[in-house]
Amino acid sequence: MVETGIPKLDDFLDGGIPAGKSLVYYNQPGIEGEIFGLQTIYTTLKSGGNGVFIVSSTIPDIIKGQFREFGWDIESYNDKLFFVDAYNPLIGAPTTEKYVVSRPDNIDDFNKIITDLIKELPPSTIVFGSLSTIMDLCGEKETIEAVKTWNKMAMLYDHVIIYNFTAWPYSQETLDLIKNNLFNAVISIGGIAERVIFGQYFGILKADWTKEIKKSMLFRVLRPGGIKLYIPKILVTGAFDAGKSTFVHALSTRAISVDRLGTTIALDHGHIDYKGFSADIFGTPGQERFDPIIKLLSGESMGVFLVVDSTNPADFVRAKHMLEITKTYGLPYVVVANKQDVPGALTPGEIKEQFNLPHDVPVVPVVAKDKIGVFEAFEVLINKITGGT
Amino acid sequence: MSDYTLGIKELDDAIGGIKKGSNIMLIGPPMSGKEAILNYIVYHGAAKNENAVITVTTRESAAHILEWFKENKLILPMPRIGIVDCVTKTLGGAAVESENIKIASSPVDLTGIGVKISQFFEEFYMKKNTRKIQLHINSLSTILMYSNIQTVFRFLHVFTGRIKAAGAIGIYVIDSGMHDEQAIATLKQLFDGMIEIKSENDKNYIRVIGLSPKPTPWFEYEIEGANVKIVRGM
Repeated sequence: MVETGIPKLDDFLDGGIPAGKSLVYYNQPGIEGEIFGLQTIYTTLKSGGNGVFIVSSTIPDIIKGQFREFGWDIESYNDKLFFVDAYNPLIGAPTTEKYVVSRPDNIDDFNKIITDLIKELPPSTIVFGSLSTIMDLCGEKETIEAVKTWNKMAMLYDHVIIYNFTAWPYSQETLDLIKNNLFNAVISIGGIAERVIFGQYFGILKADWTKEIKKSMLFRVLRPGGIKLYIPKILVTGAFDAGKSTFVHALSTRAISVDRLGTTIALDHGHIDYKGFSADIFGTPGQERFDPIIKLLSGESMGVFLVVDSTNPADFVRAKHMLEITKTYGLPYVVVANKQDVPGALTPGEIKEQFNLPHDVPVVPVVAKDKIGVFEAFEVLINKITGGT
Repeated sequence: MSDYTLGIKELDDAIGGIKKGSNIMLIGPPMSGKEAILNYIVYHGAAKNENAVITVTTRESAAHILEWFKENKLILPMPRIGIVDCVTKTLGGAAVESENIKIASSPVDLTGIGVKISQFFEEFYMKKNTRKIQLHINSLSTILMYSNIQTVFRFLHVFTGRIKAAGAIGIYVIDSGMHDEQAIATLKQLFDGMIEIKSENDKNYIRVIGLSPKPTPWFEYEIEGANVKIVRGM
């Protein structure tokens, strides 16, 4: 199994990519999708595996620089990572790489180098930096035939072979072959567009070793960091004085609050980067007189933290009411049982009973002011949002 | 009054402004002042029309371009400027991205160039709420030196489409005489009009075709520093 290292993608692929399989990252033009190939090869190196990267659209040194931009130190893997230079010969420049395609516009030359590599090297993760560039130089039909050969050979020699492909308007036949027939797995990477592209997502179009999970995840590219799943809006709500603002500040890498005299009068806004995730958090006020603006704050949330004061069961009714006001009924939510450190606080089990919560709603014990339990609550909610276990 | 104008009065009057969604080829022989004309259009768009301006540069570095404006005492409204620099990295220079400059790894890397263009679009359109955007590519000729015509056609097919969808305009520079007729004809399919330049007897002439019912007449022009001056109509 080769892990892709892309958050959640490995879960959806049942652990990763089995040896011998081929996968294409199928990118919509304009989306920063070539990073998927980079992140996957780095993940292989980190777990002690071997990697081969075929560079077609720029100097190998620039690709090495890209790894560094993400904070991925590949210097320490010099004996496990090989670059195949299919660019410098194209522009007539000298190369320092061991493996070179001397005529990148000639598919037979390409074929020879790749098949030799596949036979010589121990089971590795082979990543083509830009299959589309090869197709542009050598021709669509010729490249497709070569890819068929390479995939077959990868299977025989137990490599995992991965291609970054930008879906420029090639012939429909070519695009269909790539999406449906040529590869064992197809990960589609695209943009959410409304006149211009303003959000990016990836999803599994095909993965023939696992039951298909037709799920798309929004993502962001962080430098350093790489690909992180992006949750554009998580709502934090609850009764007055439950500790919502404290929770937002405890969870966030950075946050601001609009408050007066100790209570929120507009909203809290925070941002968190944690493990494989990047999320924006919005906290509502709790006082009833602000109810009219709460609906506005809660639009388009993907999940909810319902913060309750564990010492104050009388407010549970109001807390449940907040779910109604924010119109977030139906969204995944987690009950944050705050103020667990105060004597007389109800346990999560007791809260679940008193609250009459559905069976599958998690109640997480938290002491927001000391940041205890906040990240556990975050992971639980993320799992619910992304449909994981 | 159109949202998009070239800034050269005689031409703008003759064509009545440029419709949003237009993709225009700027074609002319080498050393006819195409660079200065493009810079003039860029400056006019950003400073006078308050449009966001994205320039993909394959021949000069971003720093060089910004120097040019400074030297000619043209103050660019930086929040509306975006430059995709395809040059600096190929020269081995240390390339640092900033709010105004994004770096593409080479003129071959059309995927990468496309990503940077998209990112600027997103920043101007969504984050800064600027709905009027001009994209300039200087030049398609350099790109055609590295990639064949079908490849470049596919790239342009996508981005001229995006220009139309976003209600922006695109201006693409090509050196005439560098490519065969077939290639230019193939690309022309994607454009709505042309700004055409010719040189005759040491004089330079400019006209616009396709953006108005009839081609404009040829106007003789001179470049004075950073200014494009129409000397007389033909």
